[in-house]
This record gives sequence, C-alpha cells and structure tokens, in this order.
Amino acid sequence: MPWGRVCYPFRRAALPLAVYYAVTLAVPVANGVVLSGAFVEHALVVLFVPLVVITVAWIAWVSAHALVRACRW
Amino acid sequence: MKRRLVVLAVAVLIAWGLKRHYAAAGADDLGWILRPTARVVSLMTGSSFALQPGEGYFSRERLFLIEKSCAGVNFMIAAFGMLTFALLHRAGSGVSVVRLLGVTLFASYGAAVLVNATRIAVAMWLAAHPVLLSTFSAAEVHRVEGIVVYFGGLFLLYEVARRLDRVVVAASSTVVVEAGL
Repeated sequence: MPWGRVCYPFRRAALPLAVYYAVTLAVPVANGVVLSGAFVEHALVVLFVPLVVITVAWIAWVSAHALVRACRW
Repeated sequence: MKRRLVVLAVAVLIAWGLKRHYAAAGADDLGWILRPTARVVSLMTGSSFALQPGEGYFSRERLFLIEKSCAGVNFMIAAFGMLTFALLHRAGSGVSVVRLLGVTLFASYGAAVLVNATRIAVAMWLAAHPVLLSTFSAAEVHRVEGIVVYFGGLFLLYEVARRLDRVVVAASSTVVVEAGL
C-alpha cells in the first residue's frame, strides 16, 4: 500500500487533531501544569487514542465504500 | 490577508472571553449551555434532570449530576477555533466576516451541546454497565470515552463543515453560470 494512502486519513484529520492536541495538551502546559507522571500518562493517552479513532474510522469508511461498490456489481 | 488576520484576532478574543466566563462562572451562570445539554441527555437516556441551584442538573433515578465541569465549554472553544480557521477563506467583505464568526459561533455551540450530551449519555450507560469493561478502572474508561467522543465529535464537525462549504461553493458557481456571468 502506497505510503501516501496510509497517511491520507491523518492528513485529512490534521486540523481537528491539531486543535484537539492544542486544547488538551499545549494550553495546560502553557498555563504551567505540573509535568507529573500522572500528566505524562494522561498525555500519552490523549496523543494515542485520537490516532486509533482516525484509523478505525478510515477502515470503516473504506470498507463501507467497498461494500457499496460490490453491491452495485 | 489583513482581513483574515482581523478575523483570527477577533476569534481569539471571543475564545478568550468564553474561557474567562467559564472560569469565573458557577453552575447557575452556565444555564445557557447546561440547560439544553441536560434536555438532550434527557431525550437520549429517558431520565429526567432537575435543576439543583448552585450545582447543576441532577437525575434522581440515575444519581447523576451534570455540573459545571460537564458543560462542554472547552469543546465549544475548540470547535469555534477550528471552524473559524477552516472557513477563513470565506472572510471577504465586512458583512461576510460578521456572518462567518456568527455562523461558526452558533455551529460550535450546537455541536458542543450535542457532543457533550452524547458524552454524558455514554458515561451514564457505562456507569450502569461496569462489568463490560472490568479490566480497566472507571476513571480510565471515562477518560478514553471522553477522548473518543470529543475528538470524534470535532472530526465529524470538521467533515460536515467542509462538505457544506463545498455545497455552498458549488451552488454559488451554478447561480453564476446560469446568470451568464
């Protein structure tokens, strides 16, 4: 699978992803939140889960399109 | 270019104002967002919520309080910023700038009520079915659920805005072609 195709869903979600990371991570850090173990753990979850959401949504979208195309045949 | 910078500056001011209001407000001052949120949650879950002055909206049957931290104002600010940036190309005349900011503010408010109500409804369902995800603690499940719903809502809002923007552009082009311009 071409690398561009793999990256496409993440490029498409770039703005909402950037906004989400800014509000949930950048703003608290800029406001001086203590970088404790608990915050780092929270940050890792906040960084990782949206990427999973994008991947699952993209797989579902591609599968639904393939199913519709197959039904038309 | 200058007009777009003005739009961004005004949007930042509006976002900052919302943030200040949220920080200083009590549950009673956030009725403008808590009341419709409680109403939508009530419709989604079938549970009734009553106003508890100074605290929020409480469901006696589900022992669930929709309080200040559940207002979704942070989501609204994020949605407003995202939509303003995504639709910045619509900032032409002064009227279009006012229209852009009005539409994005209204859309972000509506999205915040819907997405936040969904988050609360899912949280209530998970609280009522703790055995399903017994591997994780309630706090961990609540955190992941919040991220999925909030980010999913933000992404969906972005996609809807993009599609509506394309429809409006296509409709405008059709009108121009038909007018022979």
